[in-house]
Amino acid sequence: MSMRDLAREALRSLEANRGRSLLTILGIVIGIAAVIAMTSLIGGVRNSLVSGMGLNAARTIFISCAEPLDEDDLNDLARRIPDYEMIEGTYDSYTQVQVDNEMISVGITGSNPQFLEMTGMHSKVSEGRIYTEEEATSGARVALISRAGVEALFGTGTSSAVGETLKLNNKAYTIIGVIDDGITGTGYCNAYIPSKALLKDFSDGWHYFSQVTGLAREGVDIDALQEETKTQLAKVKRIDDEDIEDNVYVYSLKSSIDQFNTFMMSFQVMIGSVAGISLLVGGIGIMNMMLTNVTERIREIGVRRALGASRRDITLQFLAESSALCIAGGIIGTIVGYLIAWGLAFGITALGIDLSEVTGSTSAAFTPAIEPAAIAIAVGISVFIGVVFGYYPARRAAKLDPVECLRYQ
Amino acid sequence: MNILSVEHLTRVYGTGSTAVKALDDVSFEVEAGEFIAIIGSSGSGKSTLMHLMGGVDRPTSGTVKLQGQDIFARSDEQLAVFRRREVGLIYQFYNLIPVLNVVENITLPVLMDGRAVNEQRLSGLVRALGLQGREHYLPNQLSGGQQQRVAIGRALMNEPAIVLADEPTGNLDSKNSAEIMSMLRAANRQFKQTHIIITHDENIALMADRVIAIEDGRIVRDERRN
Repeated sequence: MSMRDLAREALRSLEANRGRSLLTILGIVIGIAAVIAMTSLIGGVRNSLVSGMGLNAARTIFISCAEPLDEDDLNDLARRIPDYEMIEGTYDSYTQVQVDNEMISVGITGSNPQFLEMTGMHSKVSEGRIYTEEEATSGARVALISRAGVEALFGTGTSSAVGETLKLNNKAYTIIGVIDDGITGTGYCNAYIPSKALLKDFSDGWHYFSQVTGLAREGVDIDALQEETKTQLAKVKRIDDEDIEDNVYVYSLKSSIDQFNTFMMSFQVMIGSVAGISLLVGGIGIMNMMLTNVTERIREIGVRRALGASRRDITLQFLAESSALCIAGGIIGTIVGYLIAWGLAFGITALGIDLSEVTGSTSAAFTPAIEPAAIAIAVGISVFIGVVFGYYPARRAAKLDPVECLRYQ
Repeated sequence: MNILSVEHLTRVYGTGSTAVKALDDVSFEVEAGEFIAIIGSSGSGKSTLMHLMGGVDRPTSGTVKLQGQDIFARSDEQLAVFRRREVGLIYQFYNLIPVLNVVENITLPVLMDGRAVNEQRLSGLVRALGLQGREHYLPNQLSGGQQQRVAIGRALMNEPAIVLADEPTGNLDSKNSAEIMSMLRAANRQFKQTHIIITHDENIALMADRVIAIEDGRIVRDERRN
């Protein structure tokens, strides 16, 4: 019998027992729904985390040293360690700006445009743009300010701050962009300006970096690179081996990501066990229903055999029915799972639980991830259960003696 | 021409003290195109004989040869294919598949064989059986007589060499019985098919060319009528 005829007959038989079929697949529905809800929620949180920390978070390494570091040190370090795609230093400064009768604090970071790209800051620019290479090289007086800064300096109703002038240390800076980092209402302004501009207007001759950030090349072992960085930086700054631990600090976000993954793993194991038990119970339910089916349709089995169905045909027919049952359960479970995930995401947002504090995401709400792989796995599990738990009843049906079946009343 | 030979057929059910000899050394030959009635009381071994001739069951000893070939020399799989292609079976209780409609029930043996349905033959059968307009009815939407016609359609769809019917009119009133018998007779004449009808009804037997009587698993009478 062709696959099409087989599938059609299987669906007809299940439809004839619609109520029983629906009750039987509940276990599968619950199991698959748990798997889907879990994977999509975790995926959503992870996406939120990654976008909060920037795409390159996993390969970003923060470097600091008791000895101050300057441009030459970084060039030397970059030469020594080819595993870095780039090493960028930034300068920090601080000033105050008077708005009406109030003094607004402004934290200033001087950096190259590459730094903004590396840390994902450029993707959070909601208005305007980041500074260009030319502006950076010439030390142009241009600034990007945070959303909270826009509120503090221009009031909450400001539609656009781009193009406005901001006086920092009595130097007129043109605002070219606004960074939406998800933080509002602090009354504090963060400003990003080209390194050269900062050194020119704020440094008084001090030319050492406040913070050094490196970006490892794709596929590089971060732990090994951290060690290598310590060793090489000690050489650059001529620090003795025994003093390295006290004077050179190198860390990365990889450990936080690993921690998150470990936490999620235990969560996954927990939900996975619930899903596993539910699928097992569901599978047993399917087997039970199929065994009842075989008994009820014993005469039909006899007729089919007498009309020329082989044992293999009967096995396939009952396997098709149990698989169809499980696939239906898988599809319903997938839909229910996504509904649960969306409901939970909505609930979390509605309850005012701000995941941005955990994930550093740009918004409080997060979206459950719909992954085709998860759906494929759900359908795969369903078919697997259908075949595994349907096999015994199907073989039992196939082994029946047709003459005995036909005599059965 | 000899189409079917039954040779020393014995079938014992059970073992030891519970053994029952349903068929005891039965032999006879069937000519192609014959319309035979096998009569006997309940429990005489008629149904056992039919299932053995149709390759549904295997004998304890003896052989059934269709066109000179021993059907039980085949494997179970080959025997299933043989039943699909060479045998048409009709039962007293119709034995239609409840979830399949009229057309699907009739074409079931063809679909089992994985072949395309001969639409011309199908529509010819539906017409001859008076089932037009009911092609998509389910068995439980049909009367007994109509259901038996579907069963006949199913038995004839594959143009089998031999049609075996077990009490085909046993569950029908006299009008429907007469109609079903004349349909079988017509198929026998039109397609030169061999028909073997099992019955306990002497009136039905009167319509046959030849009557074989069975009692306690043995042939007690075998006579040709003209």
